[in-house]
Amino acid sequence: MAFFGSTTSANVSNNADKDIEVADPPSDSISSLSFSPAADYLAVGSWDNNVRVYEVGPNGQTQGKAMYPHQAPVLSTCWTKDGTKIISGGADNAARLYDVQTSQSQQVAQHDGPVKVVKWIETPQGGILATGSWDKTIKYWDMRTPNPIATVQLPERCYTLDVAYPLMVVGTAERHIQIFNLSNPNTAYKTMVSPLKWQTRVVSCFPTSNGFAVGSVEGRVAIQYVDDKDAQNNFSFKCHRRDQAPNSKDQSLVFAVNDIAFHPVHGTFSTCGSDGTINFWDKDSRVRLKTFEPCPGPISSTAFNRTGTIFAYAVSYDWSKGHSGATPGHPNKIMLHATKEEEVKKRQKTR
Amino acid sequence: MAKKKNKQILRPWCWYCEREFEDEKVLMQHQKAKHFKCNMCPRRLNTAGGLAVHIQQVHKLEPENLPRIENALPGRDGYEVEIFGMEGIPAPDVADYKRRKEIELGLSAGSISQPQAKRPKTENRPLTEEELKAQLEAHKALMGASEAPAAPTTDASQGGVYGAPPQAYAAPPTPAVVPPMPGLPPGAPPFFPGMPPPPGAFPGQMPFPPFPGMPGMPGPPPPGFPVPPFPPMGMMPPGASPPFPPPPGALRAPVPGFPPFPPGASPPFGAPGMPTPPLIPGATPMPPSASVTPNPSQYTPNGPPHGGATPSAQPPQLTLPDPTLAQTNPELKKKTSLKYEDPNFSPDERRAIHPRYYFAKGQLASASESKTDAAQISASDESRGKKRARAEDFL
Repeated sequence: MAFFGSTTSANVSNNADKDIEVADPPSDSISSLSFSPAADYLAVGSWDNNVRVYEVGPNGQTQGKAMYPHQAPVLSTCWTKDGTKIISGGADNAARLYDVQTSQSQQVAQHDGPVKVVKWIETPQGGILATGSWDKTIKYWDMRTPNPIATVQLPERCYTLDVAYPLMVVGTAERHIQIFNLSNPNTAYKTMVSPLKWQTRVVSCFPTSNGFAVGSVEGRVAIQYVDDKDAQNNFSFKCHRRDQAPNSKDQSLVFAVNDIAFHPVHGTFSTCGSDGTINFWDKDSRVRLKTFEPCPGPISSTAFNRTGTIFAYAVSYDWSKGHSGATPGHPNKIMLHATKEEEVKKRQKTR
Repeated sequence: MAKKKNKQILRPWCWYCEREFEDEKVLMQHQKAKHFKCNMCPRRLNTAGGLAVHIQQVHKLEPENLPRIENALPGRDGYEVEIFGMEGIPAPDVADYKRRKEIELGLSAGSISQPQAKRPKTENRPLTEEELKAQLEAHKALMGASEAPAAPTTDASQGGVYGAPPQAYAAPPTPAVVPPMPGLPPGAPPFFPGMPPPPGAFPGQMPFPPFPGMPGMPGPPPPGFPVPPFPPMGMMPPGASPPFPPPPGALRAPVPGFPPFPPGASPPFGAPGMPTPPLIPGATPMPPSASVTPNPSQYTPNGPPHGGATPSAQPPQLTLPDPTLAQTNPELKKKTSLKYEDPNFSPDERRAIHPRYYFAKGQLASASESKTDAAQISASDESRGKKRARAEDFL
């Protein structure tokens, strides 16, 4: 069932021509991209243990600005609301805070397992940090004390977490999904099994915070609303698949959905996969807005900047083929795409 | 103007059979007649999609057994690509066609596919002093001048990221990768003396201490390699080793009297007026394993985490906490090859236990124990003042 009609108007652009490569990319795969909510600064976490900060100029030119290390691969990065600090989580079981004004970094959180996700939560009372780890916990930190404000036990290892205050959604191993209302962050508002039948790879909240998208390793994305009364709008669709042979139409090669990023203004979203493709979608009219030319390697992470005018994506190895896929010449780069209005704006509902 | 040059060389061509035509109108007539003609009735359609719909709806054929598009080249007889004249041709095919055309016409590569390059603007103005200097340095670096360029002068007024001068992230000299020292192309170093990199760049040390026997390393920094700057205040002479082995988290490099936050910078996270002490292992009761202390053992030449050499601890196997809860992938409906098949572990988890990335907790704990005193010193140094007393209590 193709919920998203592959519209003929989905404009394929030769992105290799137009998209701009970020200078001085990390020396190993890119695990995470995040834009500052205050300016066009891009924080990049990498498996080479470092977090790098780039300034993106008005014409897409980039400049390395800072770098700080973890003791193990970095798995996630985020910014505070004011854009003065970067928080990163790594396989060294720690989250570190980097102050971009002083260039100082310090440890701010500790887990018993690698910190898979860090997210900044801007509450009316002030900001707190949420960290999700493979030690099956989420911890909240106010960063003035070395102890967490609260710890939430998860049913399984935290694979992904996203926040659109007051909604927080956590995806774990074994396909559990927990929905939190952050006015009561200590217990799950709702616990469910993923609507998708394969391993959860990513969850991403709608900017309107009334629902979320789930991506799985089986080339499929589910759109899920939190409120039961919106349940009739839930649906899932296939993506990031390829034909076995060019002239067979079987779509039998199924790739993992690695990241989902929502456009901050229009509420449309991007998906990217191990197949090296990126699509922009409109969940309300259920159409694909844009297809990118396939990249020479998997897309490991994507991000929109604060205004949604820049779309950054990382072409780097995502371990989808294990160790043997990590060849020395594997592409490893960050590309910047200047979004056009028609690519990201919602379409008129046709049905 | 030579603007329409491309058009003269490249005539409209049919994607299905790669025939060339005088103009697009003829091309469309050709496609209608040769490729989009229904072989069960005289109907001619405008596009492949139109033909597919026609055959399905009028002749009641299942989508699986649509006839291939007639008279098409192998691989181009499918319905996926919506072609209308010259529109809709996949970009790679266009590029490929242009390339072949170039060869056929005996043109130099790129003469069709790329627009005529504008003549680069040449500036005739005299170079300024700095530019001359920079060029000289670049030239010296290129020539592999034995004398290292003068150590960069760091001015302490630099802020952090915002408004910081550009920096190049040279790949840290991981032995697994190309040997960076001799191989690193010294061309066009993004910054050079006179343009000091920000303090956060390579604070006070190389990402790794010198590997013994690595050419060029123990001496002055090799040309072209981004010269590590020194901490903004407590400057060290270029050759001298820092008081501690280079810590991985060296951004907290011990700088006597360095305030936790510079005056004028906003204190972190609300709390106006209340200078929040930064979390410092040793100074605050962080569990020992948590402390991010200088960790020399991890960065000794024997066991760099990236070295590909044997890490001190073997990475564990991935084990499920509760094997009874092991998941299995459900049956796939049709013949499908799932590219990532493990239902129980994410690719990232698998990657994190690979020897190249595995981070042993024991490594950190033991190292931090043996180096507790150094950590204490660095901690107390960092915010000498009220921290001092507490650190000594701890000792």
